Amino acid sequence: MLQGNKLELLQKLIGSFTKEELIWANGYIAATIGLPAASEVPAAQSVKPAVSKITVVYGTETGNSKKLAVDFASKAKKTGVQAKLVSLDQYRLNDLPKEEYLLAVISTQGEGEPPAAAKKFYDHIHQNGFKLDKLKYGVLALGDTSYPLFCKAGEDVDSQLQKLGGNRIAPLQKCDVDFEEEAETWFTRVLESLSGAETAPAEHAVVNVPPKKTGGKKVYEGTVLGNINLNDRGSNKQTHHIEIAAEGLEYEPGDALGIVPENPQELVECLLDIAKADSTKTFQHKNDFFTISDLLKKKLHISFLPERVVQKYASVVQQEIPATRIDLIDLLRIYPISSPEQFEQVIGILEPIAPRLYSIASSPEAHPGEIHLTVARDFFTINNERKTGLCSHHLSETPVDTSLHFYIHKNHQFKLPAPDKDIIMIGPGTGIAPFRSFIAERDATGATGENWLFFGDQHFETDFLYQTEIQNWVETGVLTRVNVAFSRDQQEKIYVQHRMLEHAKTLYEWLEAGAYVYVCGAKDPMSVDVEHTLIGIIRAEGRMSPEAAQEYLDGLKEQGRYLKDVY
Amino acid sequence: MSENNLSPIERVKKQSDALRGTIVESLKDEITGAIREDDQAVIKFHGMYQQDDRDRREERAEKKLDRVYTFMIRLRLPGGFLTPEQWIATHHIAGENSTGVIKITTRQTVQLHGLIKSDIKPTIQAFSEANLDSIATCGDINRNVLCSSHPKQSPVHEQVFAYADKISELLMPKTKAYYEIWLDEEKIADKKEEEDPLYENRYLPRKFKIAIAIPPNNDVDVFANDVGLIAIIKNNKLLGFNLAIGGGLSTTHGNPETYARLGTEIGFIDSEEKTLKAVYEVLTIQRDYGNRSDRKLARLKYTVDKLGVKWFKEELEKRIGFALQPPAKYEFTERRDYYGWQTNDKGIWYYTAFIENGRILDDEKCALKAALLEVAKTGYANFRFTCNQNLILSDIKPEHKEAVHAILEQFGVIKHTESASAIRKNAMACVALNTCPLALAEAQRYMPSLITKIDSLLEKHDLSEEEIIIRMTGCPNGCARSYVAEIGFVGTALGKYNMHIGGDNKGTRLNKIYKESLDEEHILAELDHLFEAYKKGRKKGQRFGDFANAL
Ligand code: SRM
Ligand SMILES: Cc1cc2nc3c(=O)[nH]c(=O)nc-3n(C[C@H](O)[C@H](O)[C@H](O)COP(=O)(O)OP(=O)(O)OC[C@H]3O[C@@H](n4cnc5c(N)ncnc54)[C@H](O)[C@@H]3O)c2cc1C
Ligand SMILES: Cc1cc2nc3c(=O)[nH]c(=O)nc-3n(C[C@H](O)[C@H](O)[C@H](O)COP(=O)(O)O)c2cc1C
Ligand code: SF4
Repeated sequence: MLQGNKLELLQKLIGSFTKEELIWANGYIAATIGLPAASEVPAAQSVKPAVSKITVVYGTETGNSKKLAVDFASKAKKTGVQAKLVSLDQYRLNDLPKEEYLLAVISTQGEGEPPAAAKKFYDHIHQNGFKLDKLKYGVLALGDTSYPLFCKAGEDVDSQLQKLGGNRIAPLQKCDVDFEEEAETWFTRVLESLSGAETAPAEHAVVNVPPKKTGGKKVYEGTVLGNINLNDRGSNKQTHHIEIAAEGLEYEPGDALGIVPENPQELVECLLDIAKADSTKTFQHKNDFFTISDLLKKKLHISFLPERVVQKYASVVQQEIPATRIDLIDLLRIYPISSPEQFEQVIGILEPIAPRLYSIASSPEAHPGEIHLTVARDFFTINNERKTGLCSHHLSETPVDTSLHFYIHKNHQFKLPAPDKDIIMIGPGTGIAPFRSFIAERDATGATGENWLFFGDQHFETDFLYQTEIQNWVETGVLTRVNVAFSRDQQEKIYVQHRMLEHAKTLYEWLEAGAYVYVCGAKDPMSVDVEHTLIGIIRAEGRMSPEAAQEYLDGLKEQGRYLKDVY
Repeated sequence: MSENNLSPIERVKKQSDALRGTIVESLKDEITGAIREDDQAVIKFHGMYQQDDRDRREERAEKKLDRVYTFMIRLRLPGGFLTPEQWIATHHIAGENSTGVIKITTRQTVQLHGLIKSDIKPTIQAFSEANLDSIATCGDINRNVLCSSHPKQSPVHEQVFAYADKISELLMPKTKAYYEIWLDEEKIADKKEEEDPLYENRYLPRKFKIAIAIPPNNDVDVFANDVGLIAIIKNNKLLGFNLAIGGGLSTTHGNPETYARLGTEIGFIDSEEKTLKAVYEVLTIQRDYGNRSDRKLARLKYTVDKLGVKWFKEELEKRIGFALQPPAKYEFTERRDYYGWQTNDKGIWYYTAFIENGRILDDEKCALKAALLEVAKTGYANFRFTCNQNLILSDIKPEHKEAVHAILEQFGVIKHTESASAIRKNAMACVALNTCPLALAEAQRYMPSLITKIDSLLEKHDLSEEEIIIRMTGCPNGCARSYVAEIGFVGTALGKYNMHIGGDNKGTRLNKIYKESLDEEHILAELDHLFEAYKKGRKKGQRFGDFANAL
C-alpha cells in the first residue's frame, strides 16, 4: 500500500535498526497513529529490563506533572524497574552527574518559566562548567497551547541536558492540557526502550505530533449574576466580587478559573484603520477560521508585545526597532507597514492572548451552580498615564447578565485536607479568594477542623474584603481565629507576617498539632516575607537552628502541609 | 422592684466591675470597629458614644463591609470654660483624631465625632495632658453641670460659676476605671478605694442634669433640668439658690406616658454647704426611687410626679436634715446670648461669636476654626461656651481688645456674627443625622436652609427684627430643647416634622404641638399665615410665642 519508494526506504531503515531501536520505532509509529503498540504489553513483560534503576523527577505548580510522575514510577516498578521519585525542589543537584537514567516531567508557568519548585534545578542546568556524559534522559513537558510559549520550560530542560552531554532515551514530548494519552504512550515507549539495551539515541529531538485537541479544556458558558466593588469610596483599590452562574460546573475549592480576555473593539477598529486592512478577510488560526477583526479582538495578543514579537515585526517591515515591549498600535504608527500583505504577515507573527487565572472564591457545597471571583483591577502607569490590565478591567466592567466563557484550571496541590485537620490560611488582598471558598466549604460540610485566617490590605475602613462574611464565620465559630493587618492605618506599615509574629507561639502550637498552612496572593514580596517569617517562628518557638527550621518547613512541604497559590 | 423586670442596662451597670466592663478586650477586637454591646453602655460613663455613619449603611452592606463605627467624645466642662491653652489642645486633637469639626453642644461643652476605636486612647491621653476629661458626660449619672455663661450678667458671676465645678466634683463617680483603661494607671489594689456611697454599683436609673441660672437671663434653660438652681442675688450679693426639681423635655412618639416637664421650684437654700447637700440628696432619692425597669419613665421628672412634689420635698428634708425656705423672688426676662462686644462692671471685655448649631469649622463663609486658633495663640482670651451652642471669647483686658478684634475681623467672624439674621442668631438644632443613631429626621444639616426660607417669610410680613426662638430636633428627645421654643420642630420621619408653637422667650412655658408631620412646603405655608395673623393681631410688644400661645 505504501506509495512510490516509501516501502523501499522503510525496509532500508528497518534493516539498519538494532532490536531496541526496532521496538522503540514500533512504539513510536503506533503512538503516531494513536493505536496501542502491537508489542507493548508483551514487550514490557517478556523482555527482562536491561536498566534496573531510573530516577523520575517532576516540577509542578498545580500537580499535573506530579500526578504523571507518580504514575510513571509505579508503572516502572511493575515492570521491575526501580524508580526513584523526587520533586525537583527536593532533588540533590550534585546527584545529577551520577545520574544514569533520568526522566523529567515538568510544566511551564508564568511567561514560559519553570514552576517555582523547579527553578533551582532549571537554573543549575543552565550554568555550564560540568558534564553529564553518563546521563540518559527523557523529558515530558506539560503546557497549554493557548499560551504563547508552549512548553517552553520543558524544551529548555531537554535541550540543556543534551548540551551538557546527556543522551535522550526518548524525544521530548510536549503535551497540551489534555495530556493523559500523549503522556501514556510516551512513557510506554520509554519503558520499552529501557527494557532493551544500553541506550536508544532518539533520532528526532521532538515528537512533532500536532497536539490533539480531542479532549482539550472544557469551556463553560456562564452568566454574570452580580458584580460589586468590595472596596469602599476613597480606597486606592478596586476589588470586584463577581458571581457567575453556569451549568454542570465541576470544580473544587482551590481550583482557579481561566479566562481569555478580549481586546477592546475600538482598539481593533483603530488598528484595522491604520493598517487599511479589509476587516472581513478570513484567516486560519489554530484549526479554525476567523475574520481579521475577530482574530484581533478575540485571539491575538496586541498590547505590550514581547520583544521577540517586536523583533519579528521589525523583520517583516524591514526596519530597525530597538528591543523593547510595545503595543502593536504604536508599532504600526511608528514603523508603518507598506502593504496589506505585510499586515497579513504581521497577523501571522502575533501570539495568542494568554488566559488569565482567578482563584475561585466560591464553594460547590455552599454556592451550587455558581462560581465567584475576587478580581483586583490591575492599575499601572505608563508615562504618567493610568492604565488598567486587560482582563481585570474587562471583568470589573462586566455588567450583570453578560455571558462569559471560561474554563476550570484544576489545582491538585492547593486542596483542603481531611475535614478534621486544622488549617492556617494566609491570604492578604485577593489572596482571600480561595480561603472564602475553603471556609464556605468547611462551613457547608460541617468539617470539624479549626480554621485560622490571616488577612491584610491597606485600610480597615475601605479595604476589609468580605468583612461581614468573615465576622459571621467568627460568630458561628467556623473561623476559630482571625487576624488582620492594615498596612496604612498607622505610621509604621503592618502586614500579615507581623500579625503572624504577634501570635508566633500559638501558630507554632498549631503546626506542632498538625495544622496545614496555606498562602495565597502576591508572590512578591508577600509570599516571600511570609515564608521567612514562618521559618523565623519555627526557629524561635521550636528553639532550632536556622537549618533545622528550614528542614522543618521542607518537611511540611513534603507532607503537603505547606501550600502556596501565589502569583 | 423585683430583679427580673429590671431593664437590661441595670444588669450591665452592676456587672461592669465599676464601669470597666470588657472595654479593654473590645478595643483589641481586630475585625470590627465596634465594641461589645454591653461595653457600648459602659463606655458612655466614660463620656463616649459608639455611633456609625448612617449615610453609608446601605452601600457598605452591599459591599460586604461592616458599618463605619466611630465614637463621639464629650468633654466635662462645668460651666463651659476652657483656657486658651486647652482650646489649642482641643483644636489639634480634633484635627488629628476626629472629623476636625468641634461641636459646641446645647449643654455648654464640646464634642468630637468620628473617632475610630484606636483613636480613643490617644485622644483621651491628649485631653488629659491638657487637664481635660470626659468622665460622666454621658451615662446614667450626673452630666455636665451648666451655668449662665456671660460674666457680665453679674458681679457675682464668678462666685456662682464656681458652683458648677463644685457640684460636678461632688457628683463624680468614685471608680478609677477611666484612669486605668485610658490613662494606663496602675490597677487599684484595694477595691475599697472606689467604693461609691452615692452611686453604689447601680448608678442612677437614668441620666441626670443640673443647671445654674443667673436671672434675669435663663440662657441655660434651667427648668429643662432634673435639678435647677436659680441664683438669688441682691445688691450684688449671692444670697443662695432656689431649688427646682423634675425638669426634663424628652418624649417618645406614640407613648402617652412620656411628656416634657418643667422643673418645679420647691424652695430656697441659703448656704453653699446646704446647697451642695440638697443637690446630693436629690440624687440619692432618684437613685432609690427612680424607675429602673422602664428607661422611658426613669428620669427624675417621672419619679417626682409618681411620688408627688410634696412627698419629695419631705423626703429631701429628711435626708438633708434641714427645712427648705420658701422660694425667693426673682425674675427671668430673657433667654439669650449677648452677641458682639460686651464689657462687665470691671471693664473686662467679652466677644460672643455666632456659631451656627455650634459647629466650629472653616468653610467658605467664615474661617471660624482658624480664627479661634489665632485668638487662642495670643493667650488674651478664655473660651466659654453657651447653652445656645455659641462661643464667648472672654476675660479680655482692655489693652488686648483691639488685637482680638483684628483677628476676628480678618477671618470674617465679626461679619459672620453681625450678618446673621435675628432668628438665625436665636435658633438651635441638634446633631441628628448622620451620626445620631436616634435621629428620625435631619436637624443641624437642614436647619440653616430652613431658616433662610423662614427669613424671607418674615421679611414678607416685615417682621425681620423679631427675635423669635426657633429650635429643631431630629427626634422627640429634644436635645436642642425644641419643647421650650417659640417655634419648635420635632422630627418624625425624614423630611417630616411636628410643629410646636407657643413657648415663651424665657423658657418658663412649654410649647404645644400645633401641626403634625409637616414637610417643608407645609411648614412654610403654616408659618406664612401664622406670621400674617401675628402681624395683624399682636398686642403692642407682644412676642410671637405669647401670641401663638393665646391662639
Ligand atoms: C449634642 C447634643 C445636642 C446638640 O446638638 O448639642 C445631644 C446629642 C445627643 N443626645 Fe441629647 N444631646 C444634647 C442635649 C440634650 C438635651 C438638652 C439639655 O439637656 O439641655 C436634652 C433634653 C433635656 C432632657 O434631658 O430631657 C437631651 C435629651 C436626650 C435624650 C432623651 C432623654 C430622656 O429623658 O429620654 C436622649 C436619648 C436617651 O438618653 O435615651 C439623648 C441622646 C443623645 C445622643 C447621645 C444620642 C444617643 O443617645 O446615642 C445624641 C448624640 C448625637 C451626636 O451624634 O452627637 N438626648 N439631650 C446635646 C449634648 C449636651 C451635652 O453636652 O451633654
Ligand atoms: C494561579 C493564579 C491565581 C490568580 N488569582 C487571582 C485572583 O484571585 N484575583 C486576581 O485579581 N488576580 C488573580 N491572579 C492574577 C490574574 O490572573 C491576572 O494576572 C491579573 O488580573 C492581571 O491581568 P490583566 O489582564 O488584568 O492585566 P494585563 O493586561 O495582563 O497586565 C498585567 C501587567 O502587565 C503590564 N502591562 C500590561 N499592559 C501593559 C502596557 N500596555 N504597557 C506596559 N505594561 C503593561 C503591567 O505591569 C500590568 O500590571 C491570579 C494569577 C494566577 C497565576
Ligand atoms: C500562571 C500559569 C502560566 C502558564 N504559562 C504557560 C506557558 O507559558 N506555556 C505553556 O505551555 N503552559 C503554560 N501554562 C499551562 C500549564 O503548564 C499547564 O496547566 C500544566 O498542565 C500545569 O502542570 P502542573 O500542574 O504540573 O504545573 C501556565 C499555567 C499557569 C497556571
Ligand atoms: S434630638 Fe434626637 S436626633 Fe437630635 S441629637 Fe438628640 S437624640 Fe439625636
